[in-house]
This record gives sequence, structure tokens and C-alpha cells, in this order.
Amino acid sequence: MKFHWFHLMPYPYLPADFKERYPSVWVDPPAAELYDPVKGHQVYNDYLDQLEFAEQAGYDGICVNEHHQNGYGLMPSPNLMAAALARRTSRAKLIVLGNSVALYDPPTRVAEEMAMIDVISGGRLVAGFPVGTPMDTAYCYGANPATLREKYREGVELIVRAWKERRPFTFNGKYTQLRYVNPWPTPIQTPRPPVWIPGGGSVEQWEWCINNDFVYAYLTYFGYMAGTAVIDGFWETVERLGAEPNPYRVAFLQFVGVAENDAEAEKLYAEPAQYFYNRCFHLHPGFVGPPGYASVATIRKGVRSQVRDSAAQVQGKLLSWKEILDRGCVVAGSPATVVDRLNDMADRMKVGHLMLLMHYGNMSHETTLYNTTRFARDVMPKLRHRFNEWEDKWWPKQTLADIRRPAPIGIAAE
Amino acid sequence: MFQSEMLRLFGGRQVQVYRAGTGPTIVWLHGPHGVRKNDPVIAELAKRHSVVAPVAPGFNDVDELDDIRDVHDLALHYDDVFEALDLDRISLVGQSFGAMIAAELAAHVPKRVERLVLISPFGLWRDDHPVADLFARPYATIDRILWKTGEPSAIMADPANFPNDPVEKAITIVQAMTSVAKFIWPIPDKGLRRRLHRVTAKTLIVFGADDAFVPAIYADEFAAAIPGARKAVIADAAHMVAYEKTSEVMELIEQQLGEKTRAA
Repeated sequence: MKFHWFHLMPYPYLPADFKERYPSVWVDPPAAELYDPVKGHQVYNDYLDQLEFAEQAGYDGICVNEHHQNGYGLMPSPNLMAAALARRTSRAKLIVLGNSVALYDPPTRVAEEMAMIDVISGGRLVAGFPVGTPMDTAYCYGANPATLREKYREGVELIVRAWKERRPFTFNGKYTQLRYVNPWPTPIQTPRPPVWIPGGGSVEQWEWCINNDFVYAYLTYFGYMAGTAVIDGFWETVERLGAEPNPYRVAFLQFVGVAENDAEAEKLYAEPAQYFYNRCFHLHPGFVGPPGYASVATIRKGVRSQVRDSAAQVQGKLLSWKEILDRGCVVAGSPATVVDRLNDMADRMKVGHLMLLMHYGNMSHETTLYNTTRFARDVMPKLRHRFNEWEDKWWPKQTLADIRRPAPIGIAAE
Repeated sequence: MFQSEMLRLFGGRQVQVYRAGTGPTIVWLHGPHGVRKNDPVIAELAKRHSVVAPVAPGFNDVDELDDIRDVHDLALHYDDVFEALDLDRISLVGQSFGAMIAAELAAHVPKRVERLVLISPFGLWRDDHPVADLFARPYATIDRILWKTGEPSAIMADPANFPNDPVEKAITIVQAMTSVAKFIWPIPDKGLRRRLHRVTAKTLIVFGADDAFVPAIYADEFAAAIPGARKAVIADAAHMVAYEKTSEVMELIEQQLGEKTRAA
């Protein structure tokens, strides 16, 4: 099993009565009123420190993602974050779980930037391509929900082809027309970096991932018990298509809080978790289901959208720590408790890539480092052997042995 | 109560067309609600006219939208429909989304349309009077801005209009809303203002004075952009004015078509 340290980079200074005063954390909460860029300076740098610390602590990958116009995640450009991390880390793989491809014209911009990250990092990139949430795509970026998925698919196909083809080509697509496709630089990883597709439970993504040899990364904030139905759907599709049931085809996101015991877990993690669910995830219901975003097949299959479901679950309610634990949103407690729960998750879901949210809401820097350290020291070794019998085929394998570490160049005194 | 047929277009597409009544032909282009089983406006029109009401692409199956990529394709699709129906020089009445399509058709193919009634049309934009974002609210609440009372009329709300199965009902609604969204996202301004000068049809614009979706000031915008157009703003009505003030709207339509109707 592999362990990846995932940052959402929330804004930690939303007011206590945010839910009463503002209709939504996403799309239209007034930035100038709510966001303080001077505090933001500290926040960004703490967050980047935490990701760098995760490499030292022994995590396999560090994850960044893309969101827009919100207090929930401050990475409109995950590539900027990955670029900063590429210079300051040398071992951990850089899992960029967004670029929302349909938002970029032409999509070859994504091929270029991701190849830059791969080259600078010495071949450590995992390339993630989400459709993007309804809020990010349809509302913040004005993308037409009726054509979003088709445009997204076409963009991903163009990017992958741009990496794999060894000579310039012409692309005459429905959404992108390019006479000359020939992005520089090319990635170190050949024929291309591993591609992960973050999804919220759209059925057509499963088959597409399997057929294209992409990892399906299920991002839910409601824990593994609620996520089982979607993962089951994925494994059923694997079986139906006759693909290898390799656990490393799947990545799953889980909030975790490790402490000495349950009481300490509550003391450390209850407030940040409540901040996340009650403020960072306070969504206006009008922004979660634009027509066309969910395909007819997904609606017919009865798989409800992750965002819509999440909004419905927390809308108008204040979740208590007990509810958060009981629903399995956060796995928290002593190392033994966390190991038990994650073993149960591994048994039920067969997930080879575990993405961990060790920082959430307004968690302090110190608590984040503590959680990160304790998980690495007390939990990771007990789960590491899981799925060892399988080969992870969706992981960077051509990372340079001799990674150039950044060191300041001194100016010689004359 | 309406008859329905499947029409095959020359390009191979299929279109469902409702028919009702007898008399001079009038074409009805429906709004975001589609053609409801007992649509009271069609029923009224059918008392004196032979009503032809094609279903907009996507409403029955979103895949129909694959090759109708923008409002130009959409206008030409309707030109194909009327070619297949052998309807020239038509009397065209559109409501809401259907009124936008009617305006686009009359601007793209002016000779096809002789008389034009646009009821609660959208397709223009003013920064100082924005059209409300119909898609930034849960579907269950859109009636609040479409109807003067905040609630649909009994006939339009009739559950018999929808499949019994809740999932199929949701799909019916989603397909309709997706079809509308495709042509007006994120702002219902796709250049219609640049084309309206081409309209040669004798045109009437009808608005509800209290339209909370498309403010009635857009009656002036349409009337100013279409040569010789008249406007009528009906008090105590909203975006669904055709359904809220059906008899008044009928009278306006008859006046607008009167000359031709008598001639026929």
C-alpha cells in the first residue's frame, strides 16, 4: 500500500458565523471581504512546509489539486504549487490531482506545464485530470455543463497523445483545433507519466479509466463506509471488462487523525474537522447540480453526485464530532484504532493508493506536523505490507537516480 | 389530446412534432417546460388554428444535441424542420426558450417567417438589468422566479405530465434544462442583437410586467432591435405570462395574425 499526503489548502480564517452570513463558500463569497492576503502569505508557506515535511516523514506522494473562487481550497493553480515542491523535494512523487482540462484552451498548455514539472522534478509527476467540480467549472469558469465532459475527454486524449507521439501532429477536434501539436518540453517518463482521474462517482469514468489504463481516484469527504458503493461499482466494471483486479488501479481519500487515545483525538481534531464540514463545505445548493453535468447514465444508475450528496448532507446542519466519527468521515483515535479502521477499509475496498488528509479546516501547523509524524511512525508501518503481492503499474518508475537538489549559489566576494 | 408524429429530416435527424386543431397553420415553439400533455396554450391556439409544435432537440434525448453545437446550428435545424414540413412563410409563436429560437430562426432565415410573436424571449443582455441565473438555483425552486405567484398553474404542475418513476422524471427535467443551458450558458447573449436587424417578419413582443427571470425592460430591447416590431407588456404577470394571462395573450396573437388568418 502507498500513502500520499494530500493538502486541500483551505482558508483557515472564515468567521465563526460564516454559515449564517454567507450563502456559499464557493463561487461568490466576496474575496475582498473574507480573504486577507497578508495572513494568506503565512498560510501558503505553512502549507508548503507541511507538504515538504511529509516527504521527510516518509510518505510516498504529496498531492495538490485545483479549485477556484472559494475558501475551501486555495489552489487555483496546482501547477504553481507542484513547481515549488519540485524544487524543494527530491524523493516524494508529485501527485497533481487537477488540472481540470476542459478549462484550458488549448489543453496542450496542461501538457506543457505538467511536462515542466516532470522534468524539473526528475520524473516524479503523477498527472491528474479531474473534470472539476460543478462550482469550479460551470459557475466559476463559465464552462457549459452540457458539453463539459465531452470537451474534457477530448482534452485528456489530446494531452496524452501529445506526450506519446514522437513527432508533431495536427489535431482537428470538436473543441480544439491545432495545426501544430508539438509541446516542449517532453516529460522524462515515457511513454507518459501515470495518469490518475479524480472522480466523484460518474459511472462512465470507470470504464474510461480501465480502458485507458488510468487510475481511478475517488475523492469523497464522507469516508470509506459511504464510499464503498462507488468503489464496488468500479471493481464490478473491472471484472466485467476482464481487467486485472489490481488494487493499485484505485486511490481513495480519507481524513485521518492520529493521537495517543480517543480523548486526545477529540481535543486535537474535532475543531478542525467541524471547521471543514461546517464552514469549508457550506455550499449553495444552486451551485451543485448544473444541468448536463451528471450524465443521464449516471442519473439512471442512481449514483448521486458527490458534490450534491455532500451538500445535502451538511446543508443547514452543524455536524458534531460524534457524527463526523460515526459516519466515518474522519478516522481518528489511537494508532491501534486507526490501523484497525484502515485495515477494514483495505479489506472492503481493495485500495492500493491511500490519499490522506492529515490537515483539515483550521488545523494548526503544529497539530498537522504531529498528526503527520504519528501516522508515519505508528500507523504506516503496520499497513505498508498490504497488497504487496501486486505490482503498482501506475506509479512513476523512471525517476532520475541523481535528483538535483536545490542549493543556493553563493556569490563570491571580489 | 394532441397528435404526435415522428418527422425524419433530410439530414437523417428525427424530430417529434405535435399537432392539434384545424384552421390556418400556426407554429408553436415551446419553452423550458417542453410540450405538456394538456398544454393550455396549445389547446387555446388549437381552437382556431392548426397548431404545429416541434419538440426542441435534446428534450427527448440529450444525444440529439451532439451535432447541434451552437445557436446557428439550432436555427438551421429548425429551418430543416420547416422544410421537411413544407412550411414556408410561417406564423411563428415562441415562448421563453422557444421565443429565443424563433428570433434566431427569423434572423437567420428571414424569408421563412412572415409573422412572429415572441413571448418572454431571452437572448439579449444588459449589464444594468441582468437576466436572472436560472441555473444557479435548485430545479425545485425555479417556479419561484418563473411564475407571478411563485407556483405553477395546476395544469402545468399536473404529475401526469411526467413519468411515474422518479428517476425517469428527473431525467426528463434534466434533459430539458440541459438543452436550454447548452444554448444560453453562462449568459443568454450569443450575438442575437447583431442579427435581429435581419428580421423581416411582422413582429410582436410580449412580456409579463413582473418577469423576475427576464426583466420586462427587454421588451424595449427586442422592439428596438427588430425593424417595425411592436410590444405589449401585460400587467400582473411574470415570465409565464402565456400561461398566466392566456386569454389576453391569445387576443394579442390573433390581432398579430389576424390579417393573414382572415385572408386564409
